[in-house]
Amino acid sequence: MKRFIWICALLLATAPLTVYGEFATLDELAKAYSVDTCRTCHAKVHTEWTSSYHSQSVVHSLGGIRNFIVVGLGQEWKKPVNRDNLMRCMACHAPQLAEASEGLATQVADLIIAAVDEKDGKKKDAAKKEIAKLNVNCIVCHNTKIILEKNLKGDPKPNVYYGPTGKSSPAHRSAKSKEIQTALFCGQCHGIYTPPDGDIIQCNTLYGSYQEAYRGNGGAETCQDCHMLAKNRGHKFPGAYEVEIVKEGVDLDVQAAAIKLTPGKWIPTAIVTVSLTNKAGHRIPDG
Amino acid sequence: MGRKEYWELGVDIDGDHRMGAWQIKEVVDLTLPPRKTTKERFVTELGEGVKSADVEVKVTYYPSAKHELVIHKEAKKLTF
Repeated sequence: MKRFIWICALLLATAPLTVYGEFATLDELAKAYSVDTCRTCHAKVHTEWTSSYHSQSVVHSLGGIRNFIVVGLGQEWKKPVNRDNLMRCMACHAPQLAEASEGLATQVADLIIAAVDEKDGKKKDAAKKEIAKLNVNCIVCHNTKIILEKNLKGDPKPNVYYGPTGKSSPAHRSAKSKEIQTALFCGQCHGIYTPPDGDIIQCNTLYGSYQEAYRGNGGAETCQDCHMLAKNRGHKFPGAYEVEIVKEGVDLDVQAAAIKLTPGKWIPTAIVTVSLTNKAGHRIPDG
Repeated sequence: MGRKEYWELGVDIDGDHRMGAWQIKEVVDLTLPPRKTTKERFVTELGEGVKSADVEVKVTYYPSAKHELVIHKEAKKLTF
């Protein structure tokens, strides 16, 4: 029994912390949001996530975020590169940046720009490696973004990990969440998005299509049903970059007829009819 | 022979095509809608004297400009 208690104590001590503070360095922020300890008990999930685009949510979108900083803020809006303005992108791409100091937010912006524009290959790679410490990880989905009705339910509780079962764990406190099983949960970022500055953008419009065109036409499955639960896809969440799931989403039928046009001339003519059926829960293509 | 593209066209308040997420306010939906079948017909005159033709239909998905996924390919042979 003593041994068991000791193990639990160790796990609790090394559990990731959802600290609500202000971090001055990227390493401090990354450490507070580290998911290394999640791997201890959730190795399979961690491995799946590692190969997901969620784990690359900043590095995979460097060009777009860089353009927002340089062109959007710098040239069009003429607004400062500060934490609040960066959160317009980062509220989805790396919500943990909300806990960065202003100095760190500026460093992050500089790293993003360097990871795209830097001419020196080594410096560019170093910037990419550094900025890859920010991503959408276990803590972001199972805590930071978990509450969809904050006015009703308040903020997520620090150091509590929310999941579909709420199964207790010796390593951390757990809570059951209905939200995490809904399409709306994904729609927070994969939909028409209202950033913290109150503006409206259409960064990713999947959820609008899901609601209006899929649910509106009788579809009943959720994002999780196809991108997570089907075929044990788990936390890899395959999507637009995976040929298998794209192929599953679109059926092809080809009919070809050989006829001859224009009486007297009889010109051989091909009439090809191509039918594409979108079986996905949203329009194709989409973000 | 023929080509058809499906895509979502982001526009700003002025209706100008924009690429930046911060600029896009509306989407002109030129995509394949869910739970629907979209049909395209291609009619091609092949020229007098042609006895046969090979038809190949290729469906290609571009998740980004540099990334190409061929998701379906089907061939038919026509004889006249």
